[in-house]
Amino acid sequence: MKPFRIIYLAIVFLYLYIPLAVMVANSFNVNKYGMRWDGFTLQWFSAMLQNHSLMEATRNSLLVAISSATVATVLGGLGATCIYLYRFRGRKVMQVTLLTIMMIPDIILAIGLLVLFVITGVSLGFWSLLLAHVTFCLPFVTVTVLARLQGFDPNLIDAAKDLGASESQTTRHIVIPLLKPALLASWLLSFTLSLDDVIVSSFVTGPSFDVLPLKLFSMVKVGVKPEVNALSTLFVGISVVLILICHYLTKENKR
Amino acid sequence: MKPSSRITIITLLGFWLTIFGGLPLLLLLVTSFLGQHPEKFFELNFSLESYRQLLDSSYLDILLRSIKQAVITTLLCLVISYPFVWLTARMNKRNRNIVLILVMIPFWTNSLIRTYAVRIIIGTNGLLNKMLLGLGLIDSPLRLMYSETAVVIGLIYLMLPFMILPLYANLEKFDYRLVEAARDLGAGNTQIFLRIALPLTLPGIIGGSIMVFVPTMGLFYVASLLGGGKNLLVGNLIHQNFLVSQNWPLGAAMSTALILMLLSMLLAYTFILRKMKSREVAG
Amino acid sequence: MKKLFIRFTVTVFAMLIPAAAVCSDKVFVYNWTEYIPDAVLQQFTEETGIKVIYTTYESNEAMYAKLKLMDGTGYDVVFPSTYYVNKMAKEGLLQVVDHELIPNINGLDALLLDKDYDPDNTYSIPYMWGSTGIAVNSELIPIEKVTSWKDLWNEEYRGQLLLHDDLREVFHIALSIKGYSSNTRNPKEIEEAYLLLKELMPNVLLFNSDSPRMPYLAGEATIGMIWNGEAYMAQEENPAIAYVYPTEGANFWVDSFVIPKGAKNIENAHKFINFMLRPDIAQACVESVGYATPVLTALPLLDEQLRNNPILFPSRAAIEAGEFQTDVGEALPVYQKFWEKLRSGN
Repeated sequence: MKPFRIIYLAIVFLYLYIPLAVMVANSFNVNKYGMRWDGFTLQWFSAMLQNHSLMEATRNSLLVAISSATVATVLGGLGATCIYLYRFRGRKVMQVTLLTIMMIPDIILAIGLLVLFVITGVSLGFWSLLLAHVTFCLPFVTVTVLARLQGFDPNLIDAAKDLGASESQTTRHIVIPLLKPALLASWLLSFTLSLDDVIVSSFVTGPSFDVLPLKLFSMVKVGVKPEVNALSTLFVGISVVLILICHYLTKENKR
Repeated sequence: MKPSSRITIITLLGFWLTIFGGLPLLLLLVTSFLGQHPEKFFELNFSLESYRQLLDSSYLDILLRSIKQAVITTLLCLVISYPFVWLTARMNKRNRNIVLILVMIPFWTNSLIRTYAVRIIIGTNGLLNKMLLGLGLIDSPLRLMYSETAVVIGLIYLMLPFMILPLYANLEKFDYRLVEAARDLGAGNTQIFLRIALPLTLPGIIGGSIMVFVPTMGLFYVASLLGGGKNLLVGNLIHQNFLVSQNWPLGAAMSTALILMLLSMLLAYTFILRKMKSREVAG
Repeated sequence: MKKLFIRFTVTVFAMLIPAAAVCSDKVFVYNWTEYIPDAVLQQFTEETGIKVIYTTYESNEAMYAKLKLMDGTGYDVVFPSTYYVNKMAKEGLLQVVDHELIPNINGLDALLLDKDYDPDNTYSIPYMWGSTGIAVNSELIPIEKVTSWKDLWNEEYRGQLLLHDDLREVFHIALSIKGYSSNTRNPKEIEEAYLLLKELMPNVLLFNSDSPRMPYLAGEATIGMIWNGEAYMAQEENPAIAYVYPTEGANFWVDSFVIPKGAKNIENAHKFINFMLRPDIAQACVESVGYATPVLTALPLLDEQLRNNPILFPSRAAIEAGEFQTDVGEALPVYQKFWEKLRSGN
């Protein structure tokens, strides 16, 4: 490749990575304000573990992220299969609604849900958060699963039936293996979306259930807390591992 | 699937989408036509007050400014991403995968943390200024923080992967032999770009632009962290009306206006796509 | 492999659930950003076994809207400023504080009790009081040049000014320059103040009331508004950040403990308030956040130097020149209208 091209790619990557690198470096930096390098330390990681409210918010966030990713993947995965395989009334409307949820800015869905929860008296906390997160994850799951199904020949199912397979056998041996990578990818995507969501969470959660993005928002507004750097570094690490797993799994399947 | 379980699934999904997808949007529309009340969230009577306020006051300025910021962000993302993706798509498979993973990693990292990281870089005593001062390129630190520039830098940083990925999906399919053929036939670089590359990658460009433009309008926390409460986006106003000044009808009217605007953009997109398809058939 | 995965997931889930479900003894505190040191909260939990669920807000308006949204439930102790105590009590958002359960109330400064905004302290007990004055980075701006709110209008400070994200405080500046009361309800006077503030906007770099000291410390803002406590905390890191009581008079305020109408842990809320008013705790708070405490019995515990620090404890003359905030009642929407205009019209 010409040197110019390599330089261009390098600049884009520098733009993407310098902020992350500074943050990771600061999580190991003795200097509290990260203005200069004062030596290596792990103290911020232990400070992070001792920060109870931060840990509780992290736990709450993981709980919501795992639950909503699971519900969204199951409901969205099954739903997408139905949308692909069958023709039923309201199918089009369903697709349009899914597309709409995906296309409108999060903030609009968030205030819509807030109005709904306030009017119906759903108290703001774990359940309202779960309902909201599942809702904004659903379209991403269906899109991913539908994309995977696109190359699938529905006749395969008929063929299986002709050969004497029961409904559950067909599902277990044909549909699920086919969808496995897409389901996994959707789960991971939903998990990340939920864990990273500031906008929807700031509207639909209440005092009894503080979540990580909101905790981070209030911490980041005030300024530097090295524990935040430590936690972020941990999350970057986890993201890298998750992406590699995801990549490995999808590649495996293609083979 | 058994018909019974099929019906259960479809009903369940339909129910969910109606209650938590359709109904909230409908409620917003209704709220935007309610009366305002200083101590309650709204008053139960029909009123066009919020739309009137939206039109005749400085809100329109904010709406326009935030469209401007979103457009700038989208264009800059496009300008940065297009060559990047063009180069990536022509790499061998292994390198391509590495590049894509490297693009994905920041995308999977918490966006607040990344916004905060931007602040460390562009602050008056930040890394960028230290570097430039050290190199002797500037005499006094650049004052970037709390300006429109800072907000745009932050937005680009957050949204870049959303441009790169759709563009890549599109450019991956691009047949590079077309360029070689055109060159053999004597076409110049500009001509090749305008007559071949641009039309064929237009769906990717528009797709990526929508992916960047839409969320940008709502990212209130970027404007509040990097813009210093002055360079507000529509998202900030909606946030403020719902969570601070309790003017739900006005907030809902802003949201409705935003949806209408985005809807017209989407329609334009499908229109262009359809037109291109018909031209392809004709050509 | 699949079984292992399922077992793993279930285990992780089981680990997460107890944290959310166990309903031990708690108190939900909703406070201004950085207003109680973490160590004090931990000490409270250690002594009483009551867990503090602590969340923060950055303006009275945001706190009020959240409480309205939750219909007065969800929080057990909140810290509105003077005029908001009045407003919230009138709207029935607060419940009566039982003085019997707060014996430490006897140590409070009588000057800060039984005020107009809450006669007999039926709904509120003062937590801290302080002032809003001018912060100057004396490395960049000679401190002698800044004596009055008017100095903020100096064209040299273009794009360097920090204002609080608080309408009453920002209007106080212009109203006091014009010689009006900062508690005025006269729309004419408010409009005049707005016109004056509009001229200030080119100088304004940002609005911030989360932690106003940060932009000064980061070198972004060089002059502007600050709370005395924030100035005190800023000086611990950079002594060049000076605090000036403007000649027109600083803006004084009191933030109080209140218990929202729908609070679930009322007994714990009282325990918390009583704990916070203990002399040694009040002392710890003053030393950490740098505002003045109404707990008189805590004053002798303070370091001589701190007790004489004019940032925390202004001179008689400075207090008399200044003005305490009170409710502006029906004029608030007028302020709000001009405030929005100010922030967006620029």
